[in-house]
Amino acid sequence: MNRTATRTALLFALSAFTQAQQPPAAHNEVVIKNAVVMTVTHGVIQNGSVYIKDGKIAAIGKDVNAPSSATVVDAGGKYLTPGVVDSHSHIALDDDVNEATSPVTPQMMMIDAFDYQDKAIYRGLAGGVTTSLLLHGSANMIGGQAVVIKHKYGLNRDALLFPGAPRSIKFASGENPKRVYGGKDQLPSTRMGNFAVQREALTQAQDYMREWDEYNAKVKKGDKDVSAPKRDLKMEALADVLRGNLLVQIHCYRADELLTEMAIAKEFGYKVRAFHHALEAYKVADQLAANNVAIATFSDWWGYKQEAWDAIPWNAVMSMRKGVRVAIKSDSGDFARRLNQEAAKSIRYGGATDEEALKMITLNPAWIIGVDDKVGSIDVGKDADLVIWDGYPLSSYGVPSKVFIDGDIYFDRSLPGFGMPHYSEGQ
Amino acid sequence: MKIVEHVVGCWLPVVGLFICGCAILAPAQQKPIALKGGKLLTVSHGTVENGVLLMQNGKITAVGAASSIKIPKDARVIDVTGMTVYPGLIDSEDNLGLTEIPAERSTNDLIEASDEIMPHMHVYDAFHAESELIPVTRLNGVTNAIVAPDNKDTLPGQDSFVQLAGKSTEEMVLVRDIAMPLNFTGEQRRNESFDKQKFPSTRMGMAAQLRQSFLDAQDYAQHWADYEKKKSEAAQKSNDDKDKKTPTPPKRDLKLEALLPYLQGKRPIVLAAQEANDLQTAVSLAREFNLKFVLNHISHSQSVLDYVAGLKVPVIVGSIYEDPKPYERYDTVYSLPAQLYRRGVKVVFASYEAHNVRNLPYQAGYATAFGLPYDEALKAITLNAAETWGMADQLGSLDAGKTANVVVANGDPLDVRTDVKQVFIAGQDIPMTSRQTRLRDQYAAQ
Repeated sequence: MNRTATRTALLFALSAFTQAQQPPAAHNEVVIKNAVVMTVTHGVIQNGSVYIKDGKIAAIGKDVNAPSSATVVDAGGKYLTPGVVDSHSHIALDDDVNEATSPVTPQMMMIDAFDYQDKAIYRGLAGGVTTSLLLHGSANMIGGQAVVIKHKYGLNRDALLFPGAPRSIKFASGENPKRVYGGKDQLPSTRMGNFAVQREALTQAQDYMREWDEYNAKVKKGDKDVSAPKRDLKMEALADVLRGNLLVQIHCYRADELLTEMAIAKEFGYKVRAFHHALEAYKVADQLAANNVAIATFSDWWGYKQEAWDAIPWNAVMSMRKGVRVAIKSDSGDFARRLNQEAAKSIRYGGATDEEALKMITLNPAWIIGVDDKVGSIDVGKDADLVIWDGYPLSSYGVPSKVFIDGDIYFDRSLPGFGMPHYSEGQ
Repeated sequence: MKIVEHVVGCWLPVVGLFICGCAILAPAQQKPIALKGGKLLTVSHGTVENGVLLMQNGKITAVGAASSIKIPKDARVIDVTGMTVYPGLIDSEDNLGLTEIPAERSTNDLIEASDEIMPHMHVYDAFHAESELIPVTRLNGVTNAIVAPDNKDTLPGQDSFVQLAGKSTEEMVLVRDIAMPLNFTGEQRRNESFDKQKFPSTRMGMAAQLRQSFLDAQDYAQHWADYEKKKSEAAQKSNDDKDKKTPTPPKRDLKLEALLPYLQGKRPIVLAAQEANDLQTAVSLAREFNLKFVLNHISHSQSVLDYVAGLKVPVIVGSIYEDPKPYERYDTVYSLPAQLYRRGVKVVFASYEAHNVRNLPYQAGYATAFGLPYDEALKAITLNAAETWGMADQLGSLDAGKTANVVVANGDPLDVRTDVKQVFIAGQDIPMTSRQTRLRDQYAAQ
């Protein structure tokens, strides 16, 4: 098998889920009217409307041209925002978060553990979350490949997968890998060990790619006796990091490690998409901005371990002001239920505008996941993932009233039971 | 906020913020301080717009409309027009002063896990007055807390009631042993793995062990009572009496001794359970020994809320962020405070935290989004808490005669967007700095 064939086979294996069939939308055309539309990208429209056609946003404005046959949802003057995007989640994996038997496991596919029936997906949905990046944990320097979901709770597995979302891989650094493997008296047990393991793995991937390049060159020359190198899922995944086919998401706390990770990325020629946690980003925000690396951070979580000791609640806004793209993420089923509150803290800690705060849980995390062309703002052509809120979303009092995904209502607070039109207990 | 200084002090008006030049607390406040023009949320008697609050010698001396309060000539007058003024918040359970960095074992004094029955552990023996977590906490208006050991034992020790300012543990601990947790949530079982299993590994074991402990304490009390009786009988006999025998006192047992105030109903047990079955077991146990109690958590006891109301005790709820069970609706725990309030139960909130005790008011705010009236939400972290802990004569509302724990903020105390501008504890303006503000300022300057 030549390299192209190998890659095709692997890509098929890796991305089959992205071609999952979508259920037909219950309503082809919907108009949400009488809402305060917080678009994220072009201001707030008082008494605005959004016209949804075939699951996409078709028009936005004071008045929209929608056919009279469209289903009308009167927002009753409430706030309308894009669906919340969570760029760091470990829900719905049934605790299969870390393959902590080796510090390098890029061939782990979170899709293989994805528990689409986990009620945490529902609870996030009821908190306004419509898209989540489900990541491998941080036990390993190089963990597995993420899965991107939409919170369409109640549908079958493949219907929850975000169509066409790019692939992401999770790297980690700092205390967790060294604690996990140091505890077993294995490499790595220090930060030196951590980075040595990472460089070693990437170096092996370079060798792997070279072997395949040489093989393919010989095949091209017509050499019929040459035998193909061994196909190695682990190396193939790392090769895809080096080829730029994977978005690299790195769990990293300390400022010095943020810099080291960026230096290693430069050394091996790949890009870091985002640092996760990044509680010391405010110390090196200029460098992060210069490298166009985003952060997915907590609003005010701190002190739970040594590398979180210098965390400050101003981190998000101080980093943002230096030009860093900032997302507030959950890292837990709990925070995923109220990310709006967490984002609103940036108004108080550092004086973010309401739009900047909202962007931290919508457009910015969407960029981190690589789906900002599809979700994260209320713009024509984007997926109709929308939330109508009771109370002001960026306050202690914001609670989702209705949540739309692809134009269809998946959560409605006014309904009895779980409040989900597409789910009933025992289905 | 404008600051009008009648007296040269250490305050400087800088971009509308209080900046205190003092690194440590000022000496005990003698000169009156007047907060003038603010919106006073008294908690006990409504809201006063354009109010005046006077403090002197650590106490609130007057609260009322600006027109009705005469500000003494020598007072330091602080114009708080546009600000909201409210009593210091009270957290009804946390671990402040018992941990610094949880993942670093050497910084933890959270729980003595060697045995389940540890009532002779006293939080005040470990409470670390200089913890970096304390300034972080009080900057958000939390001035008082019940500090409890972690909940891995059924009887982990005794809680202290602290004030979050002071030079030493002695100054900060207002009540050394104020209550005793009795945890019955199932998490106390020693059954984390089959080979590590030890007694009590079941709820039966937990209950039996608790029962035996209280029985032992009753017997212990009886032995001492018998001894005292014999001693006084002996004392009445003359020294010449041949029958006079001086009795030998029983051996002192600190563990059993620690249970006595609770068996005598002098202090409350904090009875923790999550689910309805555990709750009823725990309440039965408490009743067997006539223990006075308040309830803790009950996050998954929605099916027995009328029973809870019938107990007529305060409930420390939640936290409301506790994940619902898979069979529960998403807002089951969020709405629990409102459900209890509607049944006439006194609701209080706790952070159950250490590092983010500062988020206590947001929990109360969120509960209002699920039906708890606003005034009750504020009460749950002020006056209700003070009443629950027997501190309402000193704390929990803006009333003359109470300790001057007062917060000045630029808006609604329960909203995440609100910035706390100044905190007074016992009438002293607390430096609005912490390790976190210092890091912020250091790196903002670069």
